[in-house]
Amino acid sequence: MSDSSIEARIALVGNPNAGKTTLFNALTGQNQKVGNYTGATVSRKSGTFFTPHGHKFELIDLPGAYSLDPNSPDEEITRNVLIGDQEDEETPNLILCVLDATHLERHLYLLIQVIDLGYPVVVALNKTDSAESQGLRLDPTALSEKFGVPFITISAMTERGITQLKQALRRPFPSPPVRLWKGPAELEEAIKKSTKLAETNGEKNPAASGLMAVVKDNPEAKEFIQKTRFEYIHRAVEVGLQRPNEELLALTDRIDAQTLHPIKGWCIFTALMITVFWSIFKFAEMPMGLIEEGQETLQGWVGGLIGEGDFQSLIVDGIIAGVGGVLVFLPQIILLFFFISLLESTGYMARAAYLMDGVMNKVGLSGKSFLPLLSGYACAIPGIMATRTIPNNKERLATILILPWTSCTARLPVYTLIIPLMFAGALQQGLALFGIYALGTITALLAAKILKPRLGKTEPSQFLLELPTYQRPQWRHILQQVSERAFAFIKKAGTVILGLSIILWFLETYPKSDSDDPIVQQSESFNGQIGEIIEPVVAPLGWDTRMGTAMIASFAAREVFRSSIAISYATDEEDGEEMRDKLSASTRSDGTALYTPLVGLSVIVFFIYALQCLPTTVIVRRETGSWKWALGQLAGMTIFAYLAALLVYQTGKLLGYS
Amino acid sequence: MAKLATDLELDSALTLSQAAIGCDFQIRQVEGPACSQLRDIGFCEQMRVKKLTNGRNMLCTVCGTRLALSKDLADQIQVVPA
Repeated sequence: MSDSSIEARIALVGNPNAGKTTLFNALTGQNQKVGNYTGATVSRKSGTFFTPHGHKFELIDLPGAYSLDPNSPDEEITRNVLIGDQEDEETPNLILCVLDATHLERHLYLLIQVIDLGYPVVVALNKTDSAESQGLRLDPTALSEKFGVPFITISAMTERGITQLKQALRRPFPSPPVRLWKGPAELEEAIKKSTKLAETNGEKNPAASGLMAVVKDNPEAKEFIQKTRFEYIHRAVEVGLQRPNEELLALTDRIDAQTLHPIKGWCIFTALMITVFWSIFKFAEMPMGLIEEGQETLQGWVGGLIGEGDFQSLIVDGIIAGVGGVLVFLPQIILLFFFISLLESTGYMARAAYLMDGVMNKVGLSGKSFLPLLSGYACAIPGIMATRTIPNNKERLATILILPWTSCTARLPVYTLIIPLMFAGALQQGLALFGIYALGTITALLAAKILKPRLGKTEPSQFLLELPTYQRPQWRHILQQVSERAFAFIKKAGTVILGLSIILWFLETYPKSDSDDPIVQQSESFNGQIGEIIEPVVAPLGWDTRMGTAMIASFAAREVFRSSIAISYATDEEDGEEMRDKLSASTRSDGTALYTPLVGLSVIVFFIYALQCLPTTVIVRRETGSWKWALGQLAGMTIFAYLAALLVYQTGKLLGYS
Repeated sequence: MAKLATDLELDSALTLSQAAIGCDFQIRQVEGPACSQLRDIGFCEQMRVKKLTNGRNMLCTVCGTRLALSKDLADQIQVVPA
């Protein structure tokens, strides 16, 4: 907003699945900025664009909302921005309302509410190509006349009609439309009084605040207004929309008959999930190999440039090995985000939530918790933020508390280091990974069942979910989401992981030992000393001091476990094979193998359950509004992880495994 | 007389959870603790609704949109054959 060349601010509003973000991307291209609203973790996405007349406007992408009577924290932000109640946010000069032409009648409800706010409004009638292929006949002129605002037909996905839409946004903006409904004299009088009061109180948008205050205090008035608005919509669509025979919607019906079937639906769901996890291992092999080769070349080249000594060791063994060891997982992370975005984009994700509702309900949650939990497999932070769509507060809190047990991608570097020590072959490794994810998920759900009743009394959760029509994947949108996540991961590798790699290298290298033997050097270093202190704690888990120090370091970021192991075993971390060979060959002081399958299992179990991610704790504090929950979660999960790893190792030993 | 007609119509109304699968209905009344949320998402009086499946969570279409809703919510929607 500090950009003085911006002539006006336009708020983009629409129902979830209306194609709002696709339109936002089509209008603003690369000129986007992502931030947070004050006091909330709801992201504030804005961008700029030029109209054909050369005007520069700022476009704000508001969270999707079904109505302006908020049912979730997301919808509350949208309402607050529009009525001028959002801190640090000016009211918009115009509202661009995106409506899905294939579900027009239902989406018009938000438009009619937006019209009541008293801003200039332009409607982007999106997905008109899909509407045409479904046989819907739209009359934008009739709709414009009925609602008193311009309706521009577009297809945000194919960018059809974007130029016409930009032309419609020219200055001067259209006059604010008039309210389309009228209440009885008593109600009109109450609205008038309330508006006057809002004006006296200095509200930014008195008309909107006044109307909302009346609705809030008077359920009868609210019901009357809701019904009157829908009656108006009903009459308007009679002239503006001709619906075909519903049989034309049969494709989605036919697919749903399979995907939502009580038996076939679950088979499809399980097959899809196994395919996703198998693909992560299989398709990432080649690019990971290329990254490893690149890293080796870089290490060789840099090693040759710099003379032998501590500086060379810092660059080659500390920085390149530490950062590279994490970067090598970029292909797997890209693949996981790609599949999540793909399932969301095609409309399947809502079906998965519908299927999962039965399971979720048994543990006191609803299908609405499924998407946040699934996002948690990529990263706990967006998963925790996605819980904002859960209307029930207790259910939301329970979901946040269990969410870090859905294994995020930061754990992958640890799993992929340990699993091949236990299993050979891509299929077995894929199944082992699937098992790890399943174990985390099952424990998370059981924890929810125990936690939920202890979080206090709550209203029974009501399941209400829109199942969008199946559509072709929006490749551009998927690409954008995946690249955003990939860059965030690279940024983390270049900042947090880089810093920690330098610290780890320092702790491993100093103080210098007189001996040339790397094992003596390791034991005399700071790291070795820390390891000695924590050895009594980690020894019952079957771990040695190096694994203990790696575990301590991984509380800053899980990926560091791998870097730390690489540095302490003095291996070339980029070369996974070499590293695994060294680990397989490493022994305890009595000569027995250190990395047995039982120790591997103990490490994996610890990593499934431990909450080793400081940013997650910070986000939990912000989302729950209390350190009590954030720190309680951190302590609880760490203790649970330790006890679980202890149980696994000790039981294994009792059963005769080493 | 008009009130009598409305009362008679409401008497013959059934809840969405009782309604038969595959038939078209018109929403006559939405009443209950979640009525406001239901109206916001499209289950408003006069709207046409088609029930697709039964069960704990049922599927239906309202104005061409497919929605899944729990039995508790469906019990708050009174419908009559369209």
